[in-house]
Amino acid sequence: MAIPASSKSSCPSAETLWGAIVLMVAYGVVPFVGSDYLLDAVLTPFLALALAAVGLNVLTGYTGQVSLGSAAFLAVGAYAAYNLHLRIPSLPLLIDLVLAGGIAAAVGILFGLPSLRLRGFYLAVSTLTAQFFVQWALTKFGWFSNDNPSGVIDAPVLTIAGISFTNAAERYVFSLTIVVISTLLTLRLLRSQSGRNFIAVRDHEVAAKVIGVPLLRTKLLAFGISSFLIGVAGVLWAFAYLRTVEPAGFNLDRSFQILFIIIIIGGLGSLRGSFIGAAFIVVFPLLLSRVGAALLGSVFDSGILEMSQRIVIGALIIGFLIAEPRGLIALWDRTWSTLWSARRTAAPTCSLTQRSLQ
Amino acid sequence: MEGGQVAGIATGAAALGLEDDSPDKHVRHARQERGKAIVSRAEPVTLQSPVLGLSNISLGFGGVAALRDVDLQVAGAEIRAVIGPNGAGKSSLLNVVSGLYCPDQGEVWFGEHSFREVPTSKLAAHGVARTFQNLALFKGFSVFDNVLMGLAHRVRAGFLRQIVGSPLARRIEAENRSAAKEIIGFLYLDHVQDSLAGTLPYGVQKRVELARALVGRPKLLLLDEPFAGVTLTEKQELSHYVRKARDSFGATVVLIEHDIGLVMGLSDRVAVLDHGRKIADGTPEEVRADPAVIDAYLGDHGNDMEFAI
Repeated sequence: MAIPASSKSSCPSAETLWGAIVLMVAYGVVPFVGSDYLLDAVLTPFLALALAAVGLNVLTGYTGQVSLGSAAFLAVGAYAAYNLHLRIPSLPLLIDLVLAGGIAAAVGILFGLPSLRLRGFYLAVSTLTAQFFVQWALTKFGWFSNDNPSGVIDAPVLTIAGISFTNAAERYVFSLTIVVISTLLTLRLLRSQSGRNFIAVRDHEVAAKVIGVPLLRTKLLAFGISSFLIGVAGVLWAFAYLRTVEPAGFNLDRSFQILFIIIIIGGLGSLRGSFIGAAFIVVFPLLLSRVGAALLGSVFDSGILEMSQRIVIGALIIGFLIAEPRGLIALWDRTWSTLWSARRTAAPTCSLTQRSLQ
Repeated sequence: MEGGQVAGIATGAAALGLEDDSPDKHVRHARQERGKAIVSRAEPVTLQSPVLGLSNISLGFGGVAALRDVDLQVAGAEIRAVIGPNGAGKSSLLNVVSGLYCPDQGEVWFGEHSFREVPTSKLAAHGVARTFQNLALFKGFSVFDNVLMGLAHRVRAGFLRQIVGSPLARRIEAENRSAAKEIIGFLYLDHVQDSLAGTLPYGVQKRVELARALVGRPKLLLLDEPFAGVTLTEKQELSHYVRKARDSFGATVVLIEHDIGLVMGLSDRVAVLDHGRKIADGTPEEVRADPAVIDAYLGDHGNDMEFAI
């Protein structure tokens, strides 16, 4: 038993080491070698969706509250940042970003109130109101889009302290920085008592209540944090990726995409899973179109691509729910630890401790 | 006659509780006296300040009366068993005490505080902890984190402070971790503390749940069928730990149980419920000899019992 204890101290450093390597590549290599297409059409949307998935994971994966309103909070974040920038031009962009997250959090808390009474399926349906209400309000009231007839907003140039982030690589670095900071802070929250309260509410609500976990505060905090992160992701989506958005872009399909594809296929209750899920949803259509074009040639047009994508993803969701409810991340971890232990059968490793921490 | 006597004691105790203007002193006094209390356990409970009091509790589900005018006084640092056949109302009683059910009438007393409806979220703050009949561990947590959760109510720092790691947040976290560590050692769970709670054998999980309840050093510990579904060896182990918890921390223990044999050896006093009524309350010897209890359990005069109730 002394071995796990000694290896335990080296495990976090191994995890930190991997994180540092990924970050070094992301900052030091990718912006310089990546093509504009890769940076603009693959990596930037990946980062925004990953942050949204992290946000939804806090609520659904960690706290056990299902939400179908993610796209609404993306929209709230995007439109709030747009209006803050438009109406209070003196505010620095970073403040806009944080305030937009805060406004999304407030809206999230409001729509999270039914979670105190409703559970599971019923709660999911009640969060649909956020989805429909926000989309309706943004289209109905011209004020939100500065009276653009179709509710379209154009993102301003990203400028922080006089430095502009204009080309693809710069916008990628901007998004990366926001996502890294937000994820690290979320990780810290999840490892604190508030984060443990989330999991306690998810695993056994009655026991959590008896122990003295404040249910009301914990659930609303989860809704708030989740919506904050999704709101910030919405700003990235609108300002760094698309740069022109309309309310229709934040429809129910987007909510489903974040919930079903990223969270379920990526992995519930795992932040790494959110990133893997986001990578999957961005890369998968590209892969499918390449493979389809290679196999079927010109028959494989965009319509067929769209259809086949839905069919394959639908099948994957069903497959994952049956075979591996913990998603791609669980597969990844299992493969990894098998490889690891095969390589080092002689010396016991910390893979066991790692898995239990995960 | 029995019922009348008990009701009299209850009102007396309630009056005592109301008039007591220095509750803290009283509680401390009771704790200091716990050695004596154990020795003189056959004395009428009114002599000590009751840690838990129930007066006239009735609870019905539709037409079914789960509890009828139940009175119960539990003195400081005693181990009190509540036994009874299936459907006697034992679990309902515990759920009333922990606020999961709201009684139709009657009051619950924790020391000098009385409640019409016990606020479940404040239980821990009142020094009350409980375990559940069918384990209520957090499956996604290690044993250590499960035990640590027992101190959730002690965290006063807001979530921003926890993210930033303010001195207050860090101090509380460190205190809680060392308290959890200590209780894990106390219940010999060190070797499994990093395992996921859901993967352990049932008996060990029961011990983890006991650790989670004990980590906050509760004044009152409610155990819902702690020995159900575990092996004989584990039963003996668990009952040893229950007694140890009382002896070391001065916790008052109320436990619900089927298994009379085990309970008789462990408890200072035993209350017997049948069809929602308390039919006996006394030392294990008294209860064992009580004809009403023998009837209820062995059903010698089953028909007569039906008439009596």
